[in-house]
Amino acid sequence: MTMATNAPAVIATDLVKSFGDVRALDRVSLEVQAGTVLGLLGPNGAGKTTAVNVLTTLLRADSGHAEVAGIDVLRHPGAVRRRIGLAGQYPAVDESLTGIENLTLVGRLNHLPTAQCRSRAAELLEQFGLAEAGRRFAKTYSGGMRRRLDLAAALVARPSVLFLDEPTTGLDPRSRIDLWKVIEDLVTQGTTVLLTTQYLEEADRLADRISVVDGGQVIAEGSPSELKSRMGGTLVEVRLDEQSQARRVAELLTDAGDGRVSSQGTLVRVPASNGTAVLAEVVRRLDAQNLSPRGLQLREPSLDDVFLALTDRFAEDEQIRSTG
Amino acid sequence: MTTTSTGISSAGTNGRLGWAIRDTAAMAGRNLRRLMRQPEQIMFNLVSPIMFTLLFRYVFGGAIGGLQGLNYVNFLIPGIAVQTVLFSAGVTGFALADDLQKGFINRLRSLPMARSAVFGGRVAADTLNNALGLIILLATGFAVGFRPANVPGLVLAGLLLLLFALAVSLGYALVGLSVRSPEAVNAATFPIIFPLTFASSAFVPVETMPSWLQGFATHQPVSVVINAARSLILGDTATPEQRDLLLGGSGTASLVLQSLAWTIGIGVVFGLLCTRRYRNLTA
Ligand SMILES: Nc1ncnc2c1ncn2[C@@H]1O[C@H](COP(=O)(O)OP(=O)(O)OP(=O)(O)O)[C@@H](O)[C@H]1O
Ligand SMILES: [Mg+2]
Repeated sequence: MTMATNAPAVIATDLVKSFGDVRALDRVSLEVQAGTVLGLLGPNGAGKTTAVNVLTTLLRADSGHAEVAGIDVLRHPGAVRRRIGLAGQYPAVDESLTGIENLTLVGRLNHLPTAQCRSRAAELLEQFGLAEAGRRFAKTYSGGMRRRLDLAAALVARPSVLFLDEPTTGLDPRSRIDLWKVIEDLVTQGTTVLLTTQYLEEADRLADRISVVDGGQVIAEGSPSELKSRMGGTLVEVRLDEQSQARRVAELLTDAGDGRVSSQGTLVRVPASNGTAVLAEVVRRLDAQNLSPRGLQLREPSLDDVFLALTDRFAEDEQIRSTG
Repeated sequence: MTTTSTGISSAGTNGRLGWAIRDTAAMAGRNLRRLMRQPEQIMFNLVSPIMFTLLFRYVFGGAIGGLQGLNYVNFLIPGIAVQTVLFSAGVTGFALADDLQKGFINRLRSLPMARSAVFGGRVAADTLNNALGLIILLATGFAVGFRPANVPGLVLAGLLLLLFALAVSLGYALVGLSVRSPEAVNAATFPIIFPLTFASSAFVPVETMPSWLQGFATHQPVSVVINAARSLILGDTATPEQRDLLLGGSGTASLVLQSLAWTIGIGVVFGLLCTRRYRNLTA
């Protein structure tokens, strides 16, 4: 068990990393409190993997400062490697070895005693549903099995800080939920996790805090509920058959909710922080006009909304900046 | 001071060197396993020295002159030995490029292992593989009439060749980490390794080559190593004329020292370049 400390387990300050003309990281700052999960979200090419690679010592930042488990990443990379586990975006297993051999090798290279290498390998294969496949060569594994083996390899030395780059990409729903449980257990035991993901449901469920990156910069930061509340509260969504109809309905409902009504394509959104009252009003007005929408629902804003709104706005700003 | 408990304690309190050796052993074990699971690779290593020996002994051998009365088989085997180890050393580069391409190197780079073990484990396994090739070659050689003057000389010659191959394999390693695909390693190294192997004293006496080529063919490192190996193998049986015309005119000790100098030079330069390249890999 680790002591609950308040010191951040990961601190990154103004990290910059360029590949030629591409600024993959453009003054990125992050912080992960010990024993918590930070979700790193962002569209393709945002710089998530680059950030993970810098923090796990695979890449050297051009400038900036980073500490993992209290150790300076640039000055003492070797000491950092003793405390971290990494499952990269692409599984890094040796295909010509069996599952057991892969994990035992990682154990040996982590300098665990031989007996522990074996017992730990068996334990992890069991935990990741690979006990049956442990004696088979990894080249005979399916994509999802390889990924699970790679995740197991990241856990061999019981690292205090775990970096997972899109850990559930390519996993079936069952394995995904299993992995979520594994991560939650590790966090209860005091492990700190930094994970990137394209699945916002995953971030919502696992992450204590979320940093959204785009174009190498952190464009938003907060807990999942903080980010969602930025989108305003509950919404009534009306879906219609045609765009022209949607525009008419948006006008009709202008003052039905308690905020600005918006329409996008065939969809009309009415802010409804006092929920069902607004829903009833919307139904009454549509009914009075003999309009029957294709769909009607009351819903909480999701992280998807947040993500799309944030990254859209960012893209627009970029465009304005580059044209103006 | 930071003290962290990792749940599992590391074994003992060993120095860096102790761990580096253990990491190297772990990696060498992994590489040998991998090699044994690629039967086509092993077959190639076994078959190619046999084929080359038979080819030169029976197809080209009759046309090769200028041997100062030396039996061609005794001249030939050290040459084929160098060619065998130089070509097999390529495995080092192919295997590293493959590991890099498949992402396995990234896994290694995130572990607290000694970085030198990535190369140490590689060349250790490849040197064993190479030694096996030499044994096959020797057996073939004996079958077609190869007769070394004495056993210690033969053993020393073998060690000299393996050491030279080890140094060269670090060159291959550098290429493997730079081009990132096994096929490209071949394309990048062939134009260098081919002339070094054939424009040498490996198969024919340098004397028989055009004069513009003789200077290079006599003094380039592959020839120096072949001459040293030949000199060790022929021992006292080499006549002064043979020494003069076939072995670069130097005595055994001088040839061995020259080879070691080349070997150490090549090994140190490429070893340093490899570790630098490894450190600066862009994930
Ligand atoms: N080795 C490299 N050489 C050149 N450019 C690179 C390299 N690695 C990353 N980049 C560039 O840096 C930027 C950030 O890449 P990165 O892989 O960090 O994105 P990401 O957020 O992980 O994206 P994805 O969701 O697609 O995995 C991209 O523009 C990418 O093209
Ligand atoms: Mg990525």
